[in-house]
Amino acid sequence: MRPLYLTFNVYFAFVRKSFQRRMQYRVANLAGLTTNFFFLLVHIFVYTAFYAASTEPQPLNLNEIITYFVLCQVSFMLMPFWGARSEVTQAIKDGSVALQLTKPVDFHAYWFADECGRACYFLLMRGCPTFLISILFFEVTIPQQFTVFMAFAASMVLAIFMSAAIMITIFSSAFWTLDTAGISGMSGSVIMLFSGMLVPIALWPEWLAHIAEWLPFAGLIDVPFSIYLGKTTGGAILTAIGKQMMWCIIFLGLGRFFLSRGFSRLVIQGG
Amino acid sequence: MHHLSLYLHFVKLRIRSQMEYRFSFVFDLFSQASIAVIDFFMIALLFNRFKELAGWRLWEVGFLYGMIGVCFAVAEMVGRGFDVFQNSVVRGDFDTILIRPLGTFFQVFSQDFLLRRVGRFSQAFVILLIANSQLTISWSFVKVGYLLVSLVSGTSFFIGLFVIGATSCFWTIQSIEIINIFTNGGVFMGSYPFSIYRRWFRHFFTFIVPLACVNYFPALFLMEKVVPSGVSTLGVYLAPFAGFLFLGITMLFWRWGVLHYQSTGH
Repeated sequence: MRPLYLTFNVYFAFVRKSFQRRMQYRVANLAGLTTNFFFLLVHIFVYTAFYAASTEPQPLNLNEIITYFVLCQVSFMLMPFWGARSEVTQAIKDGSVALQLTKPVDFHAYWFADECGRACYFLLMRGCPTFLISILFFEVTIPQQFTVFMAFAASMVLAIFMSAAIMITIFSSAFWTLDTAGISGMSGSVIMLFSGMLVPIALWPEWLAHIAEWLPFAGLIDVPFSIYLGKTTGGAILTAIGKQMMWCIIFLGLGRFFLSRGFSRLVIQGG
Repeated sequence: MHHLSLYLHFVKLRIRSQMEYRFSFVFDLFSQASIAVIDFFMIALLFNRFKELAGWRLWEVGFLYGMIGVCFAVAEMVGRGFDVFQNSVVRGDFDTILIRPLGTFFQVFSQDFLLRRVGRFSQAFVILLIANSQLTISWSFVKVGYLLVSLVSGTSFFIGLFVIGATSCFWTIQSIEIINIFTNGGVFMGSYPFSIYRRWFRHFFTFIVPLACVNYFPALFLMEKVVPSGVSTLGVYLAPFAGFLFLGITMLFWRWGVLHYQSTGH
């Protein structure tokens, strides 16, 4: 058994490698940024028009809505909406995953580290620019209290961990179906809906919001952003973060279980 | 005629090969459908809260949504060859296409046929039908013809976008991601009435990328909604033809692009 800090170093190296690998695609990133802004702009147009026609007070005012969607675009690429990434499923399909099996590492931890590196990259190269430019162009609310900001940061980190854990759970299905396009699409759309990415849960009818409360996916988007906007306060913040933690652990366990089952039934195609 | 029978033959082959992964195929069919349902469900949810959007009611927007959805689904189904064309350039497979005794455009066009988009198509089509039953559109012979032309034109428009993406590969090898703004983004923004957008935005998506011409203006005409000031009635009648024009221009662009092709080698 290696000492724990050495083990940690190994996985930290995977995080770094994953980050560096993505740094190669700078032009693609610029294109992605443009796409983020386009969708943000259309969202803002749509909601501005909706709010202009309505006289009743809404749970979120227009500024808060705009802030919410800015945050959505900031974290869009960190979220498991895309389902299984093609490089992993391709590795399972063409059998090159066998090479990974020869590495003396824990695969779940390895892929988790890879996902974390990816999240760091998109947070820094996609999220930060999106946020900074948005501040210039739109009226974005910024939390005034330091504690709110800290709670948001903690909740956001948990959201990223949960996203990574969900992603691994999804792509481990490739061991059974080989082609994951279907499962990715389906899970992606359900997760996107119940995370609050499409419409903030505060605007949903009560019965639907109640369903979302019992599902884990609000923890990805709606929970951290509600903390940011000051809609979740006091003890409710602790409950919300506790729930995120619980779901995080459940998905990590689920992913580990699927992966170990998957590897035990793996048939390498070709050679 | 020879081309048509050849095309149908190719399509048959593509479908057969896609049926090999049957479980995934069925799953994907449902996922496509569920994405569309969720998409529209969210729009309905907003209307439930806000009642109307710039003078448009839910099912009027549903009509817009259905139209653009149908066009995009068909375009993805038949235009798939251009959508994934970058693989041919990256691997150098385009060399093979060049030496075959058939036009390059036709060959790439017939290279793929994505049957699973039937899921997305049927969802959009059902929403279009429901919207039609909720609205009282007085259908006439002219209107039905106009709708069909608009749908084909909208499909041509999206295929044109795929062609631009594919043609850019001759220079950049990998497809330019920006095209996603116009394809997926186009579906998204086309689902809402154009009047909610800013002027420069509207102009761009009417005169340069003619999205409004294949969706918003035809919907105005079919539902007999008041044409916004500054838009001529004749313009609304002729609008759907912009989609064909757009595809034509992109085909010329393709021709020019092929001349610049340099093989990545084998």
